[in-house]
Amino acid sequence: MKKETYWSPYVTGTILGLTLLASFYAAGRGLGASGAFSLAAGVGTNAVAPGYAGSLQYFSRYLDLPHPLLDWGLFLIIGVFLGALAGALASMNFRFMFDKGASMSVRTRVFSAFGGGMLIGFAARLARGCTSGVALTGGSQLALAGWVFVIAMFASGFLFAALFRRYWS
Amino acid sequence: MTAPFEMSDAASLGLALLFGIFFGLSLERSGLGDPHKLTGVFYFRDFTVPKVMFTAIVVASTGIYLLSDLRLLDLERVWIIPTFFWPQLVGGLIFGVGFVVSGYCPGTAVAGLASGRLDALVAMAGVSAGSLLFAMLYPILEGFYLSSDRGVVTIPGLLGVSHWVVIMSLIVVAGGMFYFLERMEKRENT
Repeated sequence: MKKETYWSPYVTGTILGLTLLASFYAAGRGLGASGAFSLAAGVGTNAVAPGYAGSLQYFSRYLDLPHPLLDWGLFLIIGVFLGALAGALASMNFRFMFDKGASMSVRTRVFSAFGGGMLIGFAARLARGCTSGVALTGGSQLALAGWVFVIAMFASGFLFAALFRRYWS
Repeated sequence: MTAPFEMSDAASLGLALLFGIFFGLSLERSGLGDPHKLTGVFYFRDFTVPKVMFTAIVVASTGIYLLSDLRLLDLERVWIIPTFFWPQLVGGLIFGVGFVVSGYCPGTAVAGLASGRLDALVAMAGVSAGSLLFAMLYPILEGFYLSSDRGVVTIPGLLGVSHWVVIMSLIVVAGGMFYFLERMEKRENT
């Protein structure tokens, strides 16, 4: 078992909370991670099949813009990658691997990562955001939306984990 | 001048990049690029997710409402997420399953990839595919997506109490939860 070099969750939680506060203060908006994935899906589909992407009404919110890639959420996600990379490298925590549950095969993990990712991507569009855009941002605004999402997310997560006990343990 | 500020597109994108860097740094340094830690809460063996999440929420909510009460921040001009009750409830339920199955959420998958996890890249492709699926099904889903539109609803507004009553309650509940979790973890380690 390698020694963990992580920081206290109360320290990192405070940094995250102050970052969120700075974003509200300076830019009038919170943090959101899922929007960049939806934007990538829209722009990606448009690159491969422009006619089809144009027929999808939901993607018009990106594709009707003159410069869809000059997007707050996309730049935020690029920053997340750079910040996390800096943290992982500086703490010698960077290691190439294919992470999975102890009893999972690689094939199962490919399907679970992709399939679970699909559920997340779909659910985030339905809820208008994810753990950061709705739960963290809405939660700290004391918005009802944020707390409805947080409670539903933890409730179904606990229920699913109880039904599939050995999945990650 | 009261915040938030009007700024050029370039300044806004620069800020997004800067805030993203601190966001990613705090996720990775919490260990939240690791799907074992991310899903640990659901198996009662690692409580990093609720600790980081509720610490951040307490810090940010105290800060927002303090700055607003001091008239340094105009909350009218801050984008507050509107409530669409049923889509957000159902979205949260589906999200919770996806979180446990994939071991990530969108932001933490990026932190996972940045710490070298290639399964996180597969999860990221899945998140994009799920977004595409939503866009494809949008004509069928639109009625539900736009249903139960309550506009901007805050919990203090809903309960008709001061935001400080809600924030103080949040601090007490979060503090109690942290105390309980620390005691429980200490007992398990001895």
